[in-house]
Parts: sequence; C-alpha cells; structure tokens
Amino acid sequence: MPDILLTLSEVFMRTYEGFLKAALVTLKITAIAIVLGTVFGIVFALMKISRSKILQTIANLYITLIRGTPLIVQIMFLYYGITSIVVLSNFWAGAIALGVHNGAYIAEVFRGAIQGVDRGQREASLALGMNRSQAMRRIIFPQALRRAIPPLGNQFIITLKDSSLVYVIGVTELFGLANREAASSFLPFETFLVVGMYYLVLVLIFTGLLKLYENKLNVDKS
Amino acid sequence: MIKTMNLHKSFGDLEVLKGIDIDINPGEVVVLVGVSGSGKSTLLRCLNFLEKAQEGDILIDGRKVDRKKEDLSKVRAEVGMVFQHFNLFPHKTVLENIMEAPLIVKKEDKEKAKKLSLALLGKVGLSDKADVYPNKLSGGQKQRVAIARALAMEPKALLFDEPTSALDPELVGEVLQVMQDLANDGMTMVVVTHEMKFAKEVADRIIMLDEGRIIEDADPETFFNHSTNERTRQFLEMVNV
Repeated sequence: MPDILLTLSEVFMRTYEGFLKAALVTLKITAIAIVLGTVFGIVFALMKISRSKILQTIANLYITLIRGTPLIVQIMFLYYGITSIVVLSNFWAGAIALGVHNGAYIAEVFRGAIQGVDRGQREASLALGMNRSQAMRRIIFPQALRRAIPPLGNQFIITLKDSSLVYVIGVTELFGLANREAASSFLPFETFLVVGMYYLVLVLIFTGLLKLYENKLNVDKS
Repeated sequence: MIKTMNLHKSFGDLEVLKGIDIDINPGEVVVLVGVSGSGKSTLLRCLNFLEKAQEGDILIDGRKVDRKKEDLSKVRAEVGMVFQHFNLFPHKTVLENIMEAPLIVKKEDKEKAKKLSLALLGKVGLSDKADVYPNKLSGGQKQRVAIARALAMEPKALLFDEPTSALDPELVGEVLQVMQDLANDGMTMVVVTHEMKFAKEVADRIIMLDEGRIIEDADPETFFNHSTNERTRQFLEMVNV
C-alpha cells in the first residue's frame, strides 16, 4: 500500500472516535440552526409580504444586514454581543448565530415560494369567505412549502457546511477538532482530507433524505 | 338581492366602470355581455369585493356593505364565485376542495360537511371523483367541482366569470348543463359569458356593457331580436347571432 493511504488509515483509526463525537456536535448545531432559521425565515417572509410598511422595513433591514456581512463576522459579533449580556455557552451562541444567518436566506426562499403561488388561489379562498390569514394558512402556504422544498434543501446543506465556522468561537465540532488534530499530529493534509470526507458523507445523507421527502410529496400530489 | 349604486372603478388612470346601477332580483339569471375591455368582468369582481370600487355602494339583501374586513368575508361567504380558470386547490382532493370552506369558514362539523359535499358532488355528476386530486380531472370536470365548491357555502347568489372560456369546445356543454340546472332550481346568478346560446335560453335578463357603462338591460327576446341600440346590434353581428 502506498504511504499516503497508510498514513490516512492510521489517522482515520486514531481519530474516528473523536470525529464521530464532533460530527454529532456538527449535526446538533445544524439542526438547531435549521429549525431556528426556518422559523425566522417564515416570520420575516410574512413580514416582507405584509401590508404594513413598518414590518416590511424591519424585514428588509434584517435581510440586508445578514446578506451584506460575512457569517464569520456575525458569529463573532453575536458571541461577544450576547455573552456580554447573558451567560451562554459557545455552542448555543454559535447555533443561534447560524440560525439567525440562515433565517435571512430562508426568508427569501419562502417569499419567492409564496409569491409564486397562482393569484387565483388567493382569490378563490377569499371568494369562499376565508379571511386573509385562513387563506394563507390553509391554501397558499401549503402550496408554497412544496415549491420551497428544493431551495430549502439546498440552504440546509449550506448550513451544514457553514457550521464549520463556529470553530472560531471554540466549539469542538468537526472542523474545530480537525484543526487541533492537524496541529498536534503534524499531519494537516491527511487530517483535513479525513474531515472533508465526514462532511461529504453527512451531505450525501442529507441529500438522500431530501430526495426521499420530495418524492413523497410528489406521489401525494398526483 | 344585489344592487349597485353609481359604481365607479379605475385602474390607475383607466376608468373601467363609469357609474353602474344594477338591481338583481332573487332567483334571477342575469348575463353580462360586452366586448373585451367593456368592464363586465370587473363589474362582476366588484360584486364580491375582489375588486374594490372607488365610488358607489353595493347593497346585498337591501343592506349596504360596509367595507371592513369582517364584513367582506361575510359578503363573500354569501355570494359565491366560479372562475374562468377554476382555481381549485391542487393540494386537496376533490372532496376536500368542497369541504374546505364549510369546515373553515362556517366551522361546520366534519361529518355534516362531508355529507353535504358528497351530495353536491352527486349533483354535478362527479360522485366517483371524490378522492382524486384536481390534476386528474378534465377542464369540464374541474369547473363542475368548482361549482360544487361554491355551492357548499350555500350562497344566496353565484357569480360566474367566463366559466367556459378556458374549456375545450366539447367540454362546454356539461358545464352549461350544470348551470342551467342551478338556474332551474332558482339560484340567483350573474354570469359573464360569450355563450350566446346560454344567454338566449337561460337568462332572464341580459345587460350589455360598453366602455364602462350599461347601454342595454333587457330580456333575451328584446335583446337579441328587437334591440334598437346601435352598439348592441354591432355586437350581435360580431358574435354571429
């Protein structure tokens, strides 16, 4: 066996216990960020399409600020900002920062999906005597959700990979651990190759699950 | 039943309705005709406030409609509408489409709503389609479901906005048949259509709009055979009757 493969397998065997634990941290942060981001996303999307100028302005401000600054800056800002007011672990600070960041992108996904639903759907709902919120909840949003699934899945995968950035505030997730391993073992190339594979496997699992869900929706519809 | 007084509606600089007064009696079938751009669809959509007239009043059952939100939902629950493009809910089955408004708007219990919906589905001849999704239906079937959906609210009147214009010619008849049955049952109906045969045979009154004004309001016999209005005669020549 060539040397590189030997070293790789040696690195893999030595680190897999740590990396599996770190992968769990990565998944937890990602899951929290996705849930938080989706809630933020829906709320801000509804604000953006509401008739209130004030709500629209708030939503636009949020989206502009988040999309206009780097995620790593937001993580640092939120970590030092929040922890100066309340006691918060770096894990939670990172997860919240990632969630707030995602919310802006997910808001745009939902806004597009909601506005993409045929106008006639809203008119038919109103014509039956529904009020605006009933029409949104029962008729428009469920259809928008279907349209939102593919771009949403894409955003979730970005979130999973972006979670690596919370290493800057000292969270021991996959990338944070890889950094330390690389330094202590003097094998940066092999270590980052291994951690890259962990991410790849997680992303592939994500993609597969999303595909399954999309297929299920398509079967239901027809 | 439905009465409008001096209705004006503009889109930007374009004035589409220039003072419309109509008075539709209970059980009457009124057909609105006119060339495209004459304002007939806009007038129809003003009657259930999908478009809001800038000026003038609408009275339903003699009561002036206040334009507060709750009131509008209430009016719309009483005055149903059937659209050119059906606008069925694609994520719900045929039965769910029909049950939706009774469940959500009227808060009826599920069993009762289901029973009513199945009965209406029978009435439009589609009992066997209860559990399929709209994308499995033909245009004619979709429109019949849409009519059943509007009827599920037990409306006092129904508005039809070019209900057969989006259909293949061979599917028009089945929809008109359902509408004719409704008319025979005494439903109050306001219909925008290009089906002159339907107008002739089913309508009690025909109202002709031209450039945002009513230029003729007559029974079908008078309208089709004895109109003295120049524009009406031109229109009738154009549509070949």
